[in-house]
Order: sequence, then C-alpha cells, then structure tokens
Amino acid sequence: MRYAAGVDVGSTQTKAVIMQDDGHEKKMIATALVDTGANVQKAGGNGFAAACKEAGIAPEQVGYVVGTGYGRYKIQFGNTQMTEISCHARGAHFLFPNTRTVIDMGGQDSKAISIGPEGNVLDFVMNDKCAAGTGRFLGNAADVLAMSLDDMGPFSLKGKNPVKITTVCTVFVESDILSYLAQGKKAEDVLSGVNLAIARRTVSLARRVPVEPAITMTGGVSRNVGMVKALEDVLGVTLQISPLAHFAGAIGAAMYALEKVNEGSEAGNGEGAHAANRGN
Amino acid sequence: MATSEKMEYRGQIHQLQKDMMVEWYQKLNESALTGKPPAVSLMISGNCIELLEAFDLLPLYPEVNALQLAIRRQSLEPILIAEEMGYATDNCAYVKADIGAMVKGITPAGGKLPVASLALCNFVGCNVYTKWFEHIAEFQKSPLFMLDVPFLRTDSPSKDDIAYVVRQLHDLVKQLEQISGKKFDMDRFREAVRNSAKVEDLWSRIKHLSKKKPSPYDAYFDAISLMGPLYVYRANPRGVHFFEVALKEYEEMVARGQGPLEKEKFRVVLEGPPPYPFFRTFRDMFAKWGACAVASTYSTVGGLWEFGFRHDPAEPFEAIALHMIENNVTNRNYLQRYDQIRKYVDEWDADGLIIHFVKSCRLFSAGQGDMRDYFTKELGIPTLYLESDIEDPRYFSEAQIKNRMDAFFESLGHAPARTAAQLSAGRAGSGIPMVPVQSPKLRVLN
Repeated sequence: MRYAAGVDVGSTQTKAVIMQDDGHEKKMIATALVDTGANVQKAGGNGFAAACKEAGIAPEQVGYVVGTGYGRYKIQFGNTQMTEISCHARGAHFLFPNTRTVIDMGGQDSKAISIGPEGNVLDFVMNDKCAAGTGRFLGNAADVLAMSLDDMGPFSLKGKNPVKITTVCTVFVESDILSYLAQGKKAEDVLSGVNLAIARRTVSLARRVPVEPAITMTGGVSRNVGMVKALEDVLGVTLQISPLAHFAGAIGAAMYALEKVNEGSEAGNGEGAHAANRGN
Repeated sequence: MATSEKMEYRGQIHQLQKDMMVEWYQKLNESALTGKPPAVSLMISGNCIELLEAFDLLPLYPEVNALQLAIRRQSLEPILIAEEMGYATDNCAYVKADIGAMVKGITPAGGKLPVASLALCNFVGCNVYTKWFEHIAEFQKSPLFMLDVPFLRTDSPSKDDIAYVVRQLHDLVKQLEQISGKKFDMDRFREAVRNSAKVEDLWSRIKHLSKKKPSPYDAYFDAISLMGPLYVYRANPRGVHFFEVALKEYEEMVARGQGPLEKEKFRVVLEGPPPYPFFRTFRDMFAKWGACAVASTYSTVGGLWEFGFRHDPAEPFEAIALHMIENNVTNRNYLQRYDQIRKYVDEWDADGLIIHFVKSCRLFSAGQGDMRDYFTKELGIPTLYLESDIEDPRYFSEAQIKNRMDAFFESLGHAPARTAAQLSAGRAGSGIPMVPVQSPKLRVLN
C-alpha cells in the first residue's frame, strides 16, 4: 500500500489530503481542514498531521508530500512544492475527469485554467493586483451586512431584483452596499447584485482562456450557492461542483505526490522515498 | 526540477561593460564640474548618437539614469519627491524618478550629472516623454529641441516622412554647432555612422547566436547589460571594440556548448521592459527553471538591427531618419511587433512567450492583453502575462509573479510529475500541443 499527501496552504485555510494506491485503484482516504492563521509553517504541519490521523496512518507511512498554495515554500516537511494552478487543474480532473476548464475562486485569487485530457495545464489567467472577483470581495460584503459567509449564499438566492454594483473595488464595494441599503433596497437584492458583479468580472477574466465545457468550479467560494448561480447565469452553463471542491488543490497536490511515490517504487526505492526526499 | 535557484553567470563582457559605463558616468561628472564636454539629453528610442559623436558631445540619457536608480533600489525616494511636487501616481515612474532625482541632485553613480546644454527630444511617440523633456528644459533652463518623428503608420516610411525628419536633423546640426562651438564636419559624421554600422553588424550577429542550443547568453537580461555600450558608445571605436570582444566571447561559448545557465531547459521570448527594481529577483525566477531568453523586444527599443537594417555612411542623414522612424520597436506599429515576436518564437525555436506589462509605460504595454490572446489562441504558443513596473517598486508583488512563473513552467515541463529525462528535454515533456507557427491571420506589414 502506498500513501501520498497534498497540503494546500491557502491565505485563509489549509487543506490536506491523503491518497492511497493499492496497485489497482487510487483512492482519497482522508481530508483535513485547519485555519491558516499567522503561522503558515505550523498550519501546514497541523493540516498534514490531522489528515494522517483521519486516515489512521503514521506520517512516516506517507511516501511523498507535495505542498501548494501561497504558503507552499514554508512546508518544510514536504518533498516539493507546486503551484495551486497545476494542483487545481489536477484536482478538478480527479473529481471530474471530463473537466476542460477550471474556475477557481479562493480567498485572494480567482483564476481560470484551461486543461488537457490528462489534467495538465494548457493555459491560465488570474486576477492581477486587485482582489475584485475573489472571496475577499464577498467577505467584505458579508461584513457590511453583518452576515456569515455560510449564510450569504442561500440568503442571496431570495433576491429577485439584484442591484447594480458598479464598483469592482473590494474596498469601495462597502460604501456601494451601504448606499443601496440607505436607499431602502433589500439586503438580499444587494447581495444578489454583489454576486452578479463578481460573476461578470470572473467570467470576463475566464474568457481569456478558452472556456470549454465541462467547467468545474473549485475553491472555497464554490460553497456559496448564490455565487455559483450567478456564475451559471452569466456563463449560461451548469458548473460541476464537488462537495470536495474546496480540497481540489490539495487533491491535485496529492495526485502529483502519488506519481512520485509510484515513480520511486518503479525505480526500486518506493518505500524509502519519503526518507530520501525529505528536505528537498 | 530546477538546477539552481540563483543566477551566478558573469562573463568578461559584463566587467568590460561595467568599466565603460563607470567611465561614462565619470565623464558626465566632469562635464557637470567643468562644462566640458557639453552634454545633450536624449531618448533611447532611435537615438542619434552619431550626430553627438561628430561634435564630441556627451550623451545624457534620462532613461538610463532612471533605470540605474531602480536597479540599485534607489528609485522610490525620487519617485516620492516627484509625487510631492504634484506628479500623479499614474504618471510614468521613469519620469518621476528622473525629475525627483534631478531636483534633489540624486544620481545613481554618486557623482554629479551635468545640466543638459540641450534637451533633445528625439522620440515623440509617447506624449508623456515629450512632457518629460519639456520639464527637463524647464527645470534646467536648457534649450529644447523637439524632433518630430512620425510614427510608422504603413509598411515602410514614405519619402516625405524621411525628408521631414532629415530637414529637422539639419536644423539640429545648427544647434549642435552652437552648443559645441564646432563646425559640422561631414567626414567625422560619416566616420561615426561607419562605426555604428560596424557595431550594428556585430550586435546583429550576437542576436543570431542565441539561436544556438544552448544560447550562449540570455537575450533579455544579458542583452540589457549590452545595451549601455550600444547606446552610449555605438558611434565610437570603443563601441566597435566592445562588441568585437562580446561576439568573440559568445562564439567561444557556443563552441564549448556553454550557456549562462547550468542547463538550458526552456527557451523563451520576452516582451516588455524588465522590473528594474527587482531585476535580480526576476532573473532568478527564470534561472530556477533553467529558462533562458533567446530573444526579446525590449533589446530592440534603441534599434532593431537583427533583421538587416544598418546605418549607411553613404547617406548618413537618411540613415538616422530611417533608424528613428522604422528601425526601433517603439516607433513601429503593433502588427509589426507581433510579426517580430512570431519570428523570434519560430526562428529562435522558443518554447513560449512571456509578456511583462509595465504600468509606467502605456505606450509599450497597451494592447498586450490582445497580444496574449493572439499568441495563445491564434498561434497556440504558450504565453504568460505578468504585470508590475519598470521603475516603481510598489507595483512588484513577488509572491504573485513567482506563482505565475512557476505555474507557467510547470505547465511547460509538467514538473515534477514527469521524469527527469523528460524534464531535461524541456518541451518534449510538456504535453502541450505546439501548433506550428504560421503567418498571423492579421495582416503583417513586413
């Protein structure tokens, strides 16, 4: 039995996944989610340990660890690091093998990735120098409305007359929202308008890569049903969303790690791969 | 995976370049103290160094001062000074760094810089640049010569365009006679033009050496080092000597199969100026992946010579006009730039294109989003688009840029999931369909 792990240290949350290969099937056997906080290195370690515990294996049994996310270079126990772009592509492919486009919306990034039949990256675009169209934009809107992120999605679906949010600035959106509320607009209509504004921004970004079906959405924002609906309305297609979408980066990292374990095994040093590669 | 995290290569040519540029700054210091020789401020794009050489006048490039401040990480202070003076945040940071430094007497090399005896605005393609030179003239009380060079609007310059520039060059000669106190000498001018033609020939041969595998030098980062002598010493025998040495060094490297990197894994074409405040950091991001630039558009800002243009001593004024109008990348139209890049990718056999958008320079950067679409969608060339700035360190986000670079090279090499053998073969392991480069669907002008 071979084990590999992927640890995605994101700006807000750290995700860890353990993959298992019994020679016949590659299976995800554990996931773990911890807040990243200020200590990035610790968050990576905690996530990995939690995932190992969940899988019921000792960390030493894991043959290879790939780190991803902005904190990836701080994962000192890992074997190597890869960008979340490669990992989200691979993760989305694991979750939905028919995926050709990935839309990933995280805390600070939103990106669109065009992928090949094996989950390899063909092209990608990301937001630049600006958090508009990211989870942070939604977070700010939630703060103004004194609402939790989890409640936002279902609540926004009640909005029948979405307001027009013209600003794309994550900071100035707060004053836009306050101004609409002062005008007596319903909170659900304001929130629905916020979702549409982000969706339009994200889709215009995504259209810079060929947006080909099937489209899989990954990242934390994929849990927001209101945001997903807005994206589907603007795109005119249904998005594939796994309950594990949040873990796509960690899943992709774990898949790459599993390839490494198997490569090492074919080269005759499979079981010792983790020891030989530590600290790379 | 990567061979080396840091770029350590330094050839003898880098030392020679450094010595020559230090000497130039010493001459500028001497000029500031004694008034001799008089200095002329001018632009890099299509610079007419040959005319200055004919009068023994010293070139003073505000752009070089600005980039030298940035590369030494000294640009923010003069930028803030200029902003306090009222220059807007959105203004070109080259302008702000130069003006701020001028007002406060900050110089990149520590010595003094002379007051220009003439502010010669020899490139008007950028409105901001014309204002820059008006401000230099205003602040320094220098006479201003605005040389109106028409943009290249058609396949090649019309006779009228050339005559229009030549007529202005004759007016310029009269002004140079006044500030130098020397009579114009046609033979000296021809000699300067002849030197330039020799340098251009050597430079062009160097540019074509990067077709070799591995390329003996990085045609972005190392080419930038060679640009100093190219613009300051081109019309002088020192320039000829420098480029003879450079060509020899690179030819020897080709013979040894040696490049600037331990191992060349990726060959890329670079579009756009570099982030000078993070020049080394940016270079290391390439070195980490074994990526070598084999061609760049930025190294053709001062002149585009690798496709055949040379200054002609038989018609020196017309040659200068042709250089200004047609043979520098910034005065050419966008479709010609597309074609230039396409040739680089095709003939220099590159794996991909990296576009570096700089916030300061709208002239250079406008349209690069469409350029990215054209190269990825129309030609199927893997293209990465990055954003920061040429001069202002506040626009460089290291984590974001590194992330994009890493993702781009991961996608090219699919590392580390593929085997080392595939990775060392570079594009062989990419899994990315490389569409054969064909002529763009857009009309290409030459």
